[in-house]
Amino acid sequence: MKSTDSSVSIKQPSGLSPRIRWLRDYYFRGVSRAWSNQQISFTTGTPWDVQYNECNYHIVPETYAFFQTFTSSYRQIARPVRLASDFWNLSLPERRAWFNKEVMTEYLPQEILPGDLIAGGRFNVHTSLCLTESENRARSAELYGRKGLRRGAIEFHNHGFGNAGPTAGHLIPDYSRVLSEGFEGIRSDLEEYHTALSPAERDGPPGAQLRAMIVACGMPIDLARRYRDEVLRLSAGEGDPGRAAELRRMAANLERVPSKGARDFWEALQSLWLAHMLVMSDENYPGPGVSFGRLDQLLLPYWETSVREGMDREFAKEILKCFWIHANTAYDSMIRVGNQGITAGFGQLFNLSGLGPEGRDSTNDLTFLILEVIDEMSPILEPKPNIRLHRGSPEALLDKIVDMISTSQGAPFLLNFDERSIAGMMRQARMSDAGDRIHPGNVHEYASVGCLENTMVGNDRSGTVDCNLNLLKAVELTLGNGFPLVPHTDTITGITERPRRQGPSTGDPRGFRDFGRFWAAYAEQTRALVRRIVDLYERGEALRARFHPTPYLSTLVRGCAANGRDVTQGGAELGYVTVEGVTFATTVDSLLAVKYLVYDNSFCTIEELIRALKDNWKGHEILQARARNKAPKYGRDDPEADALARSVMDLWAEETWKYRTECTGRRFRPGMLSWNYWIGDGFILPASPDGRPKDQFLSNAICPSNGADIRGPTANSNSVGTVLGGRGDGGDWKDYFNSLPNGASHTISFNPSLIRRPENRAKFKSFLRGYAENGGTALQVNVLDPEVLRDAQRNPSEYRHLLVRVTGYNAYFTSIGRELQDEVIARIAHEQL
Amino acid sequence: MNSSDTGLVLEIQRMSTEDGPGLRSTLFLKGCSLRCRWCHNPESISPEPQLRWSESRCLGCGECLAACPRRALSLGVGIRIDRGACDGCGNCERTCPGGALEIWGRRRTAGAVVGELLRDRSYFGTEGGVTVSGGEACLQADFARNVLERLKREGVGTALDTCGMCTESQLLLAAEHADLVLYDIKDSDPVRHRTNTGGDLDIVLRNLRLLSIPRGDRARKRIWVRTPVIPALTDSPSMIEGIARFLSDSAGDAVERWELCAFNNLCREKYRQLGGEWELAESPLMRAEDLDRLVDAAVRTGWPPDRIRWTGMAASGAAARDVSISSPTRGTKTQI
Repeated sequence: MKSTDSSVSIKQPSGLSPRIRWLRDYYFRGVSRAWSNQQISFTTGTPWDVQYNECNYHIVPETYAFFQTFTSSYRQIARPVRLASDFWNLSLPERRAWFNKEVMTEYLPQEILPGDLIAGGRFNVHTSLCLTESENRARSAELYGRKGLRRGAIEFHNHGFGNAGPTAGHLIPDYSRVLSEGFEGIRSDLEEYHTALSPAERDGPPGAQLRAMIVACGMPIDLARRYRDEVLRLSAGEGDPGRAAELRRMAANLERVPSKGARDFWEALQSLWLAHMLVMSDENYPGPGVSFGRLDQLLLPYWETSVREGMDREFAKEILKCFWIHANTAYDSMIRVGNQGITAGFGQLFNLSGLGPEGRDSTNDLTFLILEVIDEMSPILEPKPNIRLHRGSPEALLDKIVDMISTSQGAPFLLNFDERSIAGMMRQARMSDAGDRIHPGNVHEYASVGCLENTMVGNDRSGTVDCNLNLLKAVELTLGNGFPLVPHTDTITGITERPRRQGPSTGDPRGFRDFGRFWAAYAEQTRALVRRIVDLYERGEALRARFHPTPYLSTLVRGCAANGRDVTQGGAELGYVTVEGVTFATTVDSLLAVKYLVYDNSFCTIEELIRALKDNWKGHEILQARARNKAPKYGRDDPEADALARSVMDLWAEETWKYRTECTGRRFRPGMLSWNYWIGDGFILPASPDGRPKDQFLSNAICPSNGADIRGPTANSNSVGTVLGGRGDGGDWKDYFNSLPNGASHTISFNPSLIRRPENRAKFKSFLRGYAENGGTALQVNVLDPEVLRDAQRNPSEYRHLLVRVTGYNAYFTSIGRELQDEVIARIAHEQL
Repeated sequence: MNSSDTGLVLEIQRMSTEDGPGLRSTLFLKGCSLRCRWCHNPESISPEPQLRWSESRCLGCGECLAACPRRALSLGVGIRIDRGACDGCGNCERTCPGGALEIWGRRRTAGAVVGELLRDRSYFGTEGGVTVSGGEACLQADFARNVLERLKREGVGTALDTCGMCTESQLLLAAEHADLVLYDIKDSDPVRHRTNTGGDLDIVLRNLRLLSIPRGDRARKRIWVRTPVIPALTDSPSMIEGIARFLSDSAGDAVERWELCAFNNLCREKYRQLGGEWELAESPLMRAEDLDRLVDAAVRTGWPPDRIRWTGMAASGAAARDVSISSPTRGTKTQI
């Protein structure tokens, strides 16, 4: 099918019933819809009340300039909630639990869209932090002012270190318990814990926390009842008997769940959705990586029951598709700001397939059913599928996913690779003495949150995106002996500050006689960087632990009840804070370039290199060209270059394990996911020795630098596997090593022809099987489109790796001359029709 | 070191999808016994290392001029190479900051080459493996045999890609450890074959027969035949019929597959980088319907339709620039 505005064809949804087509079209009408799930704020009515909790956004630099505006706007539009008479006598978690329940059940309307099979509409709220005046004063003192956390976070970012702050979501709640026992079961457990407390505990924080969680359990129960009433009202007035029957069945579902355990597929999906959407309400953040876990395993018993009872396969998909639409309404949160809100990356993730117990594959009928739903609904953003592959993944599964990739512009899912991922989880167990909670008997139950961040399920609160550290900063500070190479200029005031020390004094690099000495200084700077981000994070973590409880979410995370502590206070059985290493390849390539240019070949002195970087390479073009084109690079399966890359990895990754949060006892751990920071921070960090000028993108996650992977996808993948530790004796799991338990984001672009031609699909499957042997934890497959190729024409140095494979003659796209490029673009554009 | 230990290697292409079944790594050797007018890999013809200059990568800095001990380089509109003076020493390549000057062809040991090829063995699966190609791989038969034997010992699937223009003993040596032979037959008319490729068709056909008939303890080879279809040169149905008859009569069931490889001119930049122009630089693409007719011609002679296909780029219908892919495309650096 040809789209109207360009020659690029866009994958279209298919096989949708009139009901789903209407719901999908309605959703994409965006701001013109009468109904929306736009964020609404609610206040206790006190003059100091705060609804917008900016701490959730300290890791989102593009929102820094709007913190005050958002805070004020949400305060201004906040609707007052009539408080219970004893409200201010309650503890903070109890106030929050009561307030959120009141808002969700009494203040937000309950609505059902036409034809919808799942109840649970509005969930985007900013609810009062419920602070007393003195609590608010204490919070403000921590957050604002010259020494406040806000300033600290912004300065940290603006000086090129990265960003840090405890944000919401990024976990998999214990949904399986909701489905099996319902909230009544969870609540009765909490009541037992409360009864078992000593009088002192009951009067103290554990008692308050458990009571708050008990109240929170009432929220889904009461809300389901409200929705049941609304569905019954609709069914009474429904003229279409078929629809009336559906509505009556929905009412019956809501009568049952999520109060009690689900009995069949429809009840399970209804229960799951209500439980899930209220997590987002509780955290006041839509869909920030609040993930479902292994959906095809979680729902399987209910699906099997429904199949036995004769459920129609297509109708099952119909219910799932309604679920899909609901998940997408997260984006309504700031819908009027434009383009479905400010970001397109909420990440309500789920996994499919993967290893099961005793090394068996766990693919089942539901895996394929859900894949069909993904295929028929695509393109759509939420929920985000992540398919878990392993060495024994069945051919039928690979056939299906390669088929889906081949008919899409980019893969409609991420791919996770079990052996490497599990090795990371096992290393995590060893490094953090968590062998009783993560072990060979249960590690296959791991799942991913957000994009590809691996966690355990139902008991694991790992701030998977809370710390993002620019590793490249250590190279800059090594060259500057602890000072920045270029003094910081404030983009708003235009004021250039006097250079201030940002790292330890590691010696004047002009005195470094060999690369070993340079490396030692770099290592010391790296250790200081990790310490610095840990220190900043501690402040945010402490603030959240003290002022931002989420009692409802705590009911869904194992450990919180037994510990009598909120999930924000380290209540979960497992808790980690990930430091995401950003700019990995740029850092490695910069070190390789220093070694190549200065120490191995004497193309320049270190002083000349520093001068070139300060001049942003202007007037040093020959040196820059050598750095870019001739210095070794990570990502080519070059053993020497990858050995240095491995040293960089080991150094910083090992460093993170040395720390834990003091206030909540969560261990730090390494990962590599750069979200969009590698783009924005390229405008902050100065020119780097790999030849990159300031204002050019940094490298993304664990990917090689843009344009560096000129040996193709297999070499690229081998390098990624190598730096994670490769394979060998004494592996973390079997013979696999993995330095990054959080996971590592790896994207490879393929030419559409590689997978669109039927014969080559088998070849692409070979590649995926090889990736499971040699590659990393996760892979995002991108299929190139003509727009990318046009960009490659304009910026050839960024695309030196781009292989044009369809032509019957293999060439690097950038090397074949302009007119032939045009021809290739025309052909690919044509091929996609 | 003898000739089985070292070879003149042009390039290793990893994750090749076009040089045989499955996912493969292809080893391209330098030096060819044919001079096809349509050659897509002119850099692979000479059996010597060759310097290439790439205009788009040249900074114009002139660093290379002083680096050349034989004063073979001069600055004109770009870098001029005195190819008579250049002995391929590689000093300029090391000096050139932009990577514009590069040596095509490098002597490498079989051990090093096999080591690199094995780095991708996890991706080969059961179908794929390594293809040794050229140039003409049989011109370095000892080396090709050594490489393929080592790979075979490692359990890797092997293929030889050849134009058949070599001695019997060269061919048998090179093919000894190959599971599959990709074999080019470029024409059915001996005179036209000599004119267009410089090679003797009889030798090519005799060698194909040699591979396709078992003799003694030597089993026949699995063979994929490839035929380049070049506009106005090798695009007549009668030529295809001729090849089809030969294949049916002489190679029989050994030929699992026959590909008609449609011409394109995307390699013309390489001719320029070698300092020349290419007579086919402006030749058009074949038209899809003409390629279909060639396939029909083969089938009319009785060739099984499931064992022939055309591959590569073709112009579809009247829109000359509007090109499409039908069925798998043609191989990478092989001679067509």
